[in-house]
Amino acid sequence: MTRSTTASLSASRRTLLKGLGAGALLPLIGCGPPGSGNDASGPRVVVVGGGFGGATAAKYLKRFWPNLQVTLIEPNKVFHTCPFSNLVLAGERRMESIAHSYDELKNHYGVQVIHARADDIDPDGHRVTLDNGDRLTYDRLVLSPGIDIRWDAIEGYDRAAAEHAPHAWMAGDQTQLLRRQLEGMPDDGVFILSAPADPFRCPPGPYERASLIAHYFTQHKPRAKVLILDAKDNFSKQGLFTSAWQELYGDRIEWVGLSGDGAVMRVDAERREVETEFGSIHKASVLNVVPPQKAGLIADRAGVTDASGWVPVNPNTFESTQVKDIYVVGDATVAAPMPKSGFVANTQAKVAAAAIVSSLEGTPLLEARWANTCYSLINPEYGISVAHVYNVQNDQISIASGGLSPGQAPGTTRRLEAEYAYSWYNAIAQDTWGS
Amino acid sequence: MIMRSLLLLTTVLALTSQGALADERQAERQTALLASSCANCHGTDGRGTMTLAAIAGRPASILESQLLAFKHDESAGATVMDRIAQGYSDDELKALADYFANQPEL
Repeated sequence: MTRSTTASLSASRRTLLKGLGAGALLPLIGCGPPGSGNDASGPRVVVVGGGFGGATAAKYLKRFWPNLQVTLIEPNKVFHTCPFSNLVLAGERRMESIAHSYDELKNHYGVQVIHARADDIDPDGHRVTLDNGDRLTYDRLVLSPGIDIRWDAIEGYDRAAAEHAPHAWMAGDQTQLLRRQLEGMPDDGVFILSAPADPFRCPPGPYERASLIAHYFTQHKPRAKVLILDAKDNFSKQGLFTSAWQELYGDRIEWVGLSGDGAVMRVDAERREVETEFGSIHKASVLNVVPPQKAGLIADRAGVTDASGWVPVNPNTFESTQVKDIYVVGDATVAAPMPKSGFVANTQAKVAAAAIVSSLEGTPLLEARWANTCYSLINPEYGISVAHVYNVQNDQISIASGGLSPGQAPGTTRRLEAEYAYSWYNAIAQDTWGS
Repeated sequence: MIMRSLLLLTTVLALTSQGALADERQAERQTALLASSCANCHGTDGRGTMTLAAIAGRPASILESQLLAFKHDESAGATVMDRIAQGYSDDELKALADYFANQPEL
């Protein structure tokens, strides 16, 4: 049988299927919104983290199996996305436009949302302990812990330093702090961005940030410069970025890679100075340190991280290879060649949700497939992208198709990709949080 | 004896059709999982209202021919869909076209 014939399975066949008793074994997948599922009595899935991965997992678990009891644990009532936070830094968007609540999950999908922090996981007892002392038991656990900063990686760069030299790599207060610093910067100042080695959250993010801040400077700080000090020699969409920088910003943006002595080893945040590998000192007016990262802390507590600090997963299911019944999605996972992006976290969450449903009901696993499109804005009307489809080949995540925006393209293409970037943001936010 | 054979036959038929329907249901879920990636740009179930064309409820034949044109680089206006469509078989693209055609419009 081909998939094409089954996709048009009619409503009457569905009823027939249920009538035969198979419906009880095979909950509906891909059906319409279930409405309130607060009376759900099925197995219990707890989701930790309400970002792109966690919110999507909660929603799609309920879409795939409305009778599941799904609980989402997230400390914040409002989630600010990293995507488009660079537009906030450039003064092109307000914080409210990147803020999303959990109303749709609660009111439309019947997800129980608890605003608390998950402090500990007991994998043997299948229990999550919250910071308010409550304990929740689960049949399956989804962790979408995002990233934590490696505070010990760059000398002098600790939590206190981040109040002077923000990372702004988790959107929220840090974004607003960096924005205020940029606004207060002298007209002939230097903005320094220190970019980490791979792997890290949002590979093109530092370069989009440099671009949009350069755009802000063209409007408001005409003599200001951008210096990127980089701990690597190659970066995402490098050719597209560098030629666009040349075209739009001339020599306003300077990039120094690893072999040009770009790796920042020491930070003096109060003086806004950095020292590189071979002892060069650079002084900034505004210093933005995007530091090395690791999986969010709760992943450590659950015992799912390995020596790299990230979480190895079974590529077919995104279940931890180290702890049974714990599924991990998003930036915390080792999923190369997939990047650590919000888009990928969202599609990983859907694959994990389907795998959890299969495992709970004992039906065959579905074939995993993921997509990713990362748009970057060079200015608000100039967009570039990288897009891929991924599948599993020989138990490895592999690229099925994809690539970059064309190197040579008319301005209309770049404008269209910028438009699509805004459209993408609205669509993925709607798909993840309903707003 | 005849009764037993009839009973056996009925049971076998029932099990077979149940198995076939379970297979169909499994394939339907597979398509729903594939389709879920499209939501990231086109909205949940393709019911987007943004710049990008809403795809929910559009005729399956049009969606399919558009997807195949993207895949075979025959769509002049493509930006990312040419890169993405190549990651799916023709059968999968047809199943996705059918899936979105069957979604109610916003």
